[in-house]
Amino acid sequence: MRFGLTAAVFLAGVLPAFTQPAPKPPQGPAPKINGKPDFSGLWQRPYVPDMTVTTADGKTQVADPSLPNDPKTENMKGRNGQPAPPRKLLPYTPWGQQQWDAYDAAKGDYTGSCLPFGLMRSMNSPDPIQIMQSNEFLSLLYEQNTWFKVFPLDGRKHRDIVPTWFGDSVGRWDGDTLVVDTVNFNGKTRLDTNGHPHSEQLHIIERFQRPDLGHINYEVTVDDPKTFTRPWKNSRVFTLRPDWEIMEYSCEENNKDFLEGHIKGGINPGK
Amino acid sequence: MKTKFTLALAGLGLLLSALPAMAHHSFAAEFDSNKPVTLKGTVTKIDWMNPHIWVYVDVKDEGGSVAHWQCEGGPPNSLTRNGWTKDALKIGDQVTVEGFKAKDGTNTCNSRSVKLPDGRSVFAGSADDGGPGRRSGGAQ
Repeated sequence: MRFGLTAAVFLAGVLPAFTQPAPKPPQGPAPKINGKPDFSGLWQRPYVPDMTVTTADGKTQVADPSLPNDPKTENMKGRNGQPAPPRKLLPYTPWGQQQWDAYDAAKGDYTGSCLPFGLMRSMNSPDPIQIMQSNEFLSLLYEQNTWFKVFPLDGRKHRDIVPTWFGDSVGRWDGDTLVVDTVNFNGKTRLDTNGHPHSEQLHIIERFQRPDLGHINYEVTVDDPKTFTRPWKNSRVFTLRPDWEIMEYSCEENNKDFLEGHIKGGINPGK
Repeated sequence: MKTKFTLALAGLGLLLSALPAMAHHSFAAEFDSNKPVTLKGTVTKIDWMNPHIWVYVDVKDEGGSVAHWQCEGGPPNSLTRNGWTKDALKIGDQVTVEGFKAKDGTNTCNSRSVKLPDGRSVFAGSADDGGPGRRSGGAQ
C-alpha cells in the first residue's frame, strides 16, 4: 500500500501535463482506394502493455470477453475510482503456463537490447503508426524504432522463408474488412510488455476496419497451439492524427539502460 | 510479483488513459517499485535522445558530499508531442526529482516527476513502462 500512496502523490504532481486533450478526429466517410477502404494515414493507438486488460471505457482496449476473469483482479478500480473490468486468464497449455510463470523481465528481455519487438508487441506499442496503401500492398511504418512491414493484399500463399521477428504476412479482403494473416515467426518475442508468451507456432490474424474517416477498428486473434489451448482475441480503436507527423526513433541511440548494465537483454527468450 | 504489482495499481485508482509515452523495456526490468526516491539537487546535464531522455542531478548531503544521480524520463518523441523541449530544464536548475531506484543499486532512477522550485513539473509523462502509476498490468 505504501507503494500505491507514493505513486498517488507522484501522480498528483504530474497530472496537469496530461490534460492536453487530443483534438477531435476528422469526420466523414472512410476514403476508398481500388474500391476498398484506404487505411492510409498517421494513427494514434492505445498502448496495450497487457492484452488481458479491458479499459474502463470498454472500447479503447477490449480483452477477449469469452476468456474467464482473473479472480485476483475482481473489484479493480480504474480512472477516477470507477470500477474497472477484471483481467482475463489466458488459456495456457502446460508449456505456455510454464513460459509465463518463468518470465521475469529483470532477468532479461530482448527489448532491453533493442532487438525487434516483433509483430504483436509492435502493434501494442503506443507510438503512432503510419499506414500507406496502394492497390497491391499495404505498409505499416512503426515509429517504434523505425521498423516497418509491407505485405500484399491479394491473398496469395505464405512464402516458405526463414522465420522472422515480424513473420510473413498476407492480406486479403473480406468485404470491406482487411484480414491480415501472419505466420512464420521465429518465436523469440513476447506478445506484450507484460511478457505474455508465444511460440514459433504463433499465427496472428488481424482484422482492420475503417468505419469512418477518423477511426480504425482493429481486432487481433492470437492462435498458437503450442502455447494456448484455443485462439483468443483482443480489439482496440485507432484514431487518425492529421496534426502529427511520424518522427525518427532509435532505440539504440542512447540505450544507457542496457549499455551500462542496468538492464539485461536476451536474444532467445521463452526457450 | 506480477499479481502483487497489479493489485497495487488497482488500489491506486488514478491510472491515466492518455499517457503519451512508452518505454522500450518494462519498468520492472530495471527499477524497483518498492524503492521510491526523492532527489533535491542541481541539474548538471540533460540527454535529449532516444529511447529515453536522461536528467543528471548532483545531490549534496548535509556533510557536503555530492552524489551524482542519473534519472530516466520519457521518450523525446512523445514529450515533444506534448509540447516539451529540452529547454524546459537548464543546467544549473535546482530540481526535485521523484522516482524509483534501479534494482542494481547504482545512483540511477526512473523519474516520475521533475519539479522546479516554483512547483512546476517539467517533462511530465515519463516512460509508460508499467511502472507505478502506469498502465501496464493494471486497470485503466
